[in-house]
Amino acid sequence: MTVASVPLAWKNLTHDPRKLALALAGVAFAVLLMFQQRGFNHALFDSTVELVRRLDADLLVFNRARFALTSELRFPREILERLASEPGVASVQPLYLENKLASAHRAGFPARPIRVLGFELSALPFRDAAGEVPASLATLQRPDTALLDRLSKSYYGFDLESAQQGTEQAVELAGRQLQIAGLFSLGCDFAHEGNLVMSSENFARYFRYRGLDPLAVVDLGLVKLTSGVDREEVLAKLRAKLPSSVELMKREEFEQREIGFWARSTPIGVIFAIGAGIGFAVGVIICYQILATDIADHYREFATLIAMGYGKKYFFQLVLQQAWLLAILGYLPGLVLSWMLFQLNSSWTGLLMNLTWERALTILVLTLVMCSLSGLLAIRKLLAADPASLF
Amino acid sequence: MAELATQPETLERLLRNWFPTAEQMSISAHAVNHFYGEGDARKQVLFDNRLDVRAGEIVIMTGPSGSGKTTLLTLLGTLRRVQEGSLKVLGTELNGLEQRLVIALRKQIGFIFQAHNLFESLTATQNVRMATELLGLPATEAEPRIEAILRRLGLGQRLHYKPKSLSGGQKQRVAIARGIVHQPRLILADEPTAALDAESGREVVTMFKELAERDGCTIIIVTHDNRILDVADRIVNMVDGRIKSNVLVQKTALLCQILQQYPLFRELTPAVLASVADKMSLQRFSPGSEIVRQGEPGTDFYVIAQGEVEVRTSGKFLTRLDAGSYFGEVSLLTEQPRNATVQAVGEVACFSLAKEDFQAVVATSGSFEQQLRQALFERQ
Repeated sequence: MTVASVPLAWKNLTHDPRKLALALAGVAFAVLLMFQQRGFNHALFDSTVELVRRLDADLLVFNRARFALTSELRFPREILERLASEPGVASVQPLYLENKLASAHRAGFPARPIRVLGFELSALPFRDAAGEVPASLATLQRPDTALLDRLSKSYYGFDLESAQQGTEQAVELAGRQLQIAGLFSLGCDFAHEGNLVMSSENFARYFRYRGLDPLAVVDLGLVKLTSGVDREEVLAKLRAKLPSSVELMKREEFEQREIGFWARSTPIGVIFAIGAGIGFAVGVIICYQILATDIADHYREFATLIAMGYGKKYFFQLVLQQAWLLAILGYLPGLVLSWMLFQLNSSWTGLLMNLTWERALTILVLTLVMCSLSGLLAIRKLLAADPASLF
Repeated sequence: MAELATQPETLERLLRNWFPTAEQMSISAHAVNHFYGEGDARKQVLFDNRLDVRAGEIVIMTGPSGSGKTTLLTLLGTLRRVQEGSLKVLGTELNGLEQRLVIALRKQIGFIFQAHNLFESLTATQNVRMATELLGLPATEAEPRIEAILRRLGLGQRLHYKPKSLSGGQKQRVAIARGIVHQPRLILADEPTAALDAESGREVVTMFKELAERDGCTIIIVTHDNRILDVADRIVNMVDGRIKSNVLVQKTALLCQILQQYPLFRELTPAVLASVADKMSLQRFSPGSEIVRQGEPGTDFYVIAQGEVEVRTSGKFLTRLDAGSYFGEVSLLTEQPRNATVQAVGEVACFSLAKEDFQAVVATSGSFEQQLRQALFERQ
């Protein structure tokens, strides 16, 4: 049997615009729920690896025991420096990180830990969101200066305006005066509420407790390769020269490793999956209600079609068509609303709420599956229509 | 005579009605019982229903509500499973029929329900198209057919209206169009004319008649509408789950038409003619068979409807008789054995009237007796 050329699914769905609007609002709500939950989930991972994504490096060296960026397990700088002379390596750069002991204190506000990134200003390994090196990095050569992440949480009490202009504001870092010389943009994540960037010289001054030479241990080693070399080949060769306590990875691999830690070793992925699952379930219920009500409203008409000799296959097609129309028509406003809410969320929480094509497509597929499930549940009602009751 | 010109045709119809062949049978119900409920609540609603309906017959079913006519209708329409007995519809035994074949059979049935059951979201044309979609007809064939039927039913100006903008009668007519547009071989209609005014009701009935006569479509109508009783070939009356009466009304009417053309019956009043016709039956004889044998007691009076017979007395050829002639009256009037043998020459069909019925008619109608005796006298 061919699909009927009377577009019954479409006609029934659009016959009553008020009902349609309600139905679409329901589906859009479910779409919104799923988008939000998936969005927070992605925001967690995106925000966590945002720093890694910004690093201008091909390969990263780190302590093998460092299970996540937050774990503060370091490795000796000599290991990194040894790599600099290897063939295929253009440059190496240490990146120093401090978080737990880096307490930022703005007068009149409580002291809070902040993530401090220290690196050698000679080669700027850091890209801004737009991929540009922040011009203000040059000002960091002065002692006791740092750049402030404009996306840092407001409860630190930093004055962004004066930071922009580089004017004085009373800020202490680890018990020592600090001058905010400008702004850059990175973003928070679930473990870090704000960021400061400074030169390695300044970094050594603030965090003396890291050792006799505070710069002797490195958090992340950034390796840039000369252009045109086979990355895999160089990676294998370099890896063979490193002690077993240290691991070397491509930047993207490290990114995935980091995400993998948060997804697998913490309940966060599960929590948001449950949240999205609830959105999905709510969607199934809403969509089922819409379809089942439509079937109940047209009970006699459908029973007539059964009497006329329409078979199961037709009704499956009909209900699924209707379900997919609902899915697509409800998805579009859901997508627009979600995008708007992402912008709001981002500005409220400082989390990165990225809405990529891939993620939008995933939710579209989820929405289609959601409505299909509802359709399959609702179709039992239709098939139970008894034409004998019509006479 | 102009009237005589129509006789063969009327007779054909009568013969068809009287002697339907197996393949002409559209519905054949035998010992159909039906029950509702289970266990202690099980209640019988149909009792030993027997019904034979020829293709092209229009049957009107009457009976009080709860008499089982609706149940029988749903059984005929394959909308309920046959529980006991045999029910053949359009040549298919429904008892134990697998679902796939049920669906195939439904496509040959046209359903007209009491409620219109139209999709509010579809226009009149689209609602009717739901029936042609099922046949897979190309649009070039289906569309003109849909339009023609709707126009015929007075909806030419409403082709693209949705049910909301149609009156109750118009909606019912759209539903009727949907029920017949696919040229079903069987139409089951439940009070199809209840919502219609006299004029459109008549138009619907005329269409039914055309479908029955032209396409041999069998039509079963459950109705209380007296205005349409005249289209019925057969009226089935049901009471308490039993078929109380099953009358071929058209048969009597056709018989009267034929008898009227014979001199013997011409003088009879319509009432007497109808009572004669009502009691008459139609018999067929193969070539050479003896219809009446000399010396045997007389049992029937015969009027030849079709074919020729030879009359012999003691082996001696007397005469040939053809359509409109009658024989066998003498022994019934005189209470003596048959005085001649009558043999069919070719295929012969005769109307016959049993002795008691014949004598009853003679006793009540002086003119009939006079005609007979006159003829008897003239023959001697």
